[in-house]
Amino acid sequence: MTGCEDALVAFLLDQVDAAAVDHIRTCPRCRAEQPAVRALAVRLAADPAPTPPPTLAPRVLAAAGPLLVRNAQGAAWRAAWPAVARALAAALIPLPAILVFDVALVRAIYSLLGAVLPHGLSLYLVVNHAALLALLLTLTYGAVPFLAARQARLLLQDGYRHG
Amino acid sequence: MGTDEELIGRVGVGDQDALAELCRRYERPLYHFIARHTGGRDVEDLYQETWLRAVRAAPRFDPSRRFSTWVFQIAVNLCRDWHRRPPPEPVEPDDNLASTSDAPEARIDARRLLAALPEAQRTVLLLRYYHGLSEEEAAEVLGCPRGTVKSRLHAARERLGRFVESA
Repeated sequence: MTGCEDALVAFLLDQVDAAAVDHIRTCPRCRAEQPAVRALAVRLAADPAPTPPPTLAPRVLAAAGPLLVRNAQGAAWRAAWPAVARALAAALIPLPAILVFDVALVRAIYSLLGAVLPHGLSLYLVVNHAALLALLLTLTYGAVPFLAARQARLLLQDGYRHG
Repeated sequence: MGTDEELIGRVGVGDQDALAELCRRYERPLYHFIARHTGGRDVEDLYQETWLRAVRAAPRFDPSRRFSTWVFQIAVNLCRDWHRRPPPEPVEPDDNLASTSDAPEARIDARRLLAALPEAQRTVLLLRYYHGLSEEEAAEVLGCPRGTVKSRLHAARERLGRFVESA
């Protein structure tokens, strides 16, 4: 059974169904109120809709331009980051093995040199060798972020060309 | 051109044509909603801000949602914020609104009626009456239960009825 309020609101919204009609027919209070609700609906319906100025849409599109560019960059980055992550992983995964190998190599050289050269000289040579290895590793892995950023940039540009 | 949801998805990856099409589809409903909500004040600013917020949030748009309720939700939030601002200086009647009126008395009546409602009731009435949203859609826009939409509409009807009687 439709309640009084539901029935009257249905008349206000012009969404009258059979239940609302039945209710109005049988409810004296709603029957009395119905003309006023109708009048209210007519008044609301008489409100003219203001026309948007023709300059509004171009203005909105112009203002949205920078945001659209940002959306495009974000989308390209979302598409590109798995490839960048793979490149980073490919570079970083062998790092522990390289470190272990280098430490073993330095130890082997130290024991080899220690057998034929004075202790101070062999230590000096081994430290030099270790420093050289550390420098090479730093240079190699220091370049990884720059290479990854460059790869991302290339992928973004590629995304723009094809997107 | 695709559905509204497809179009906002394309806006999320920076497609300007998709945005232009959405603006074309929703220009009148959104503009009318904001104009009626604010009584014709700051309509263009609020309309533009609605779209800018929509574009900003487009990459996070959930495609399982309806675009229409989503964009109206943005407009409702902006209108709510607008109503919370300090009252503006008195303004002259909006010429743009006046020039479109066929029946000035009726227009003033309708605007007065809407202005007589508290913001929450006015929002529900606008969504349900002028924009034909269902109870469920209005509840989604407002982020409240359907029962709240119903009770606000009942309250709006009662209040308007009393207002008309006393006028």
